[in-house]
Amino acid sequence: MPMIEVENLTKRYRDRVAVDRLTFTVPEGEILGFLGPNGAGKSTTMKMLTGFLPPTEGRIKIAGFDVFEQPLEVKRRIGYLPETPPLYMEMTVKGYLRFVSALRQVPRSKVGSEVERVGQLCGLGQVMDRIIQNLSKGYRQRVGIAQALLNDPPLLILDEPTEGLDPAQRAEVRALIKSLAGKHTVILSTHILPEVTMTCERVLIINHGRMVAFDEIRNLANAHGYSENISLEEIFIKLTAA
Amino acid sequence: MRSTLAIARKELSIYFTTPWAYVVFTAMVAVSSFFFLTFLQDFQKAQQMAKVYGWAQIPTEFKNLTDSVVVPLWNAITVITLFVAPFLSMRLFAEEKREKTFELLMTVPVRPIEIVMGKYLGGLGAITATLGLTIVFPVILSIFGSSESGTALEWTTVLLGYGGLLLWGATCLAIGMFISALTQSQMLAAVVTVVVLWLWMLLKGVTQSVEEPWRSIAGYLSFGEQLAPLHKGMLDASAPVFFGSVIVFCLFLTHRTVEAQRWT
Repeated sequence: MPMIEVENLTKRYRDRVAVDRLTFTVPEGEILGFLGPNGAGKSTTMKMLTGFLPPTEGRIKIAGFDVFEQPLEVKRRIGYLPETPPLYMEMTVKGYLRFVSALRQVPRSKVGSEVERVGQLCGLGQVMDRIIQNLSKGYRQRVGIAQALLNDPPLLILDEPTEGLDPAQRAEVRALIKSLAGKHTVILSTHILPEVTMTCERVLIINHGRMVAFDEIRNLANAHGYSENISLEEIFIKLTAA
Repeated sequence: MRSTLAIARKELSIYFTTPWAYVVFTAMVAVSSFFFLTFLQDFQKAQQMAKVYGWAQIPTEFKNLTDSVVVPLWNAITVITLFVAPFLSMRLFAEEKREKTFELLMTVPVRPIEIVMGKYLGGLGAITATLGLTIVFPVILSIFGSSESGTALEWTTVLLGYGGLLLWGATCLAIGMFISALTQSQMLAAVVTVVVLWLWMLLKGVTQSVEEPWRSIAGYLSFGEQLAPLHKGMLDASAPVFFGSVIVFCLFLTHRTVEAQRWT
């Protein structure tokens, strides 16, 4: 069964169309790169996938469950990092992760080890007892990623996970995401194109809310008549210029 | 249930790690202690007058500490609560929306009712602490006060009255939480809540010119009317039923507002 099935997904705000009839499926275990210029509708689509925003039209199924009709079943299977990491600035990193563990229904006896585990994965060992308010942007972003990994959800929806990180940290997060492949399905949106080439098998490119490409990176290069080593950047610019 | 308690705990810990709870505590204690001293002085004066002119000349409510100091103090505390409770309730939802953490609450496997109840319980903890601080005044009276017949204070009356105060605080909080769920701006939530509470309090007065039966209905529905027995040192069954209904209604509206996020 595919992890994500999206059919005719549309979001309209009065007369502005943010997302226009998207249809795609993502099989289990795949890492999908979600690309598009600013304001193309990436975040809106991700918010609809998690059930935070209702679609104007269309249907979304996650692991076979309809997002609108069985929201709890869907939410149990998703780890979500929104555009702005949803952090409580007054809490310590550990306190925050323990709180989110309770919300994500991590069994009581496993909360400690689960917080330890995601902290380790995201390199938060040093800052566990610090107040989130006092952390740098990079650390805050990593706390946001850690929060999404709690309770090991089969589907991860990451909205610009490497935003605000320095190059070394970006490489770490990329490695982390790559290591999730197979067991987890991941959708990640990003502006940084080389990142997609390095982590994702397939890309979905949207522009003005419409799908302009949905294919393996290799095939995209071939289809656009360029040589093997064409950069994704050139394809992206060509596709979204229209 | 677990999520509800986790959210309640988080709310409480945020109240006590930010200055808000302490500002509210200080306001409550400072203003109510001013009233406490005023009522105590009146009581003292009445006592001295009684010694000179005899008890027959003195109004009956000055005959004991409960009726002459504690009961009028409740009157003051209900009004102070009306002004400070909105500053506790304002952040409950508005802050989550402004800080984008609402997105987290809405995408974890937690039902809207659990979110609403968790937040309400957390707020209830804060308002209970605020009102609980003022119990220091009756305690002072019972330690230093004396009476010719038994204890200085009628503790059953005092505790029942505090039950009434808590009910009132819980009502202010429920209304404030609903208003907080409608906006992203904490300040706006606080101001609108104060205005709504104040108008509701004075509903009887402002509808004097309206025709019957609306005048009686408005009179019954006004907070001032419902609080009147408490301000006389009495508590009957109608006030708990009335305030309980207002609380349940506000929780229901808040739930609908949170639930509506999924639809619009």
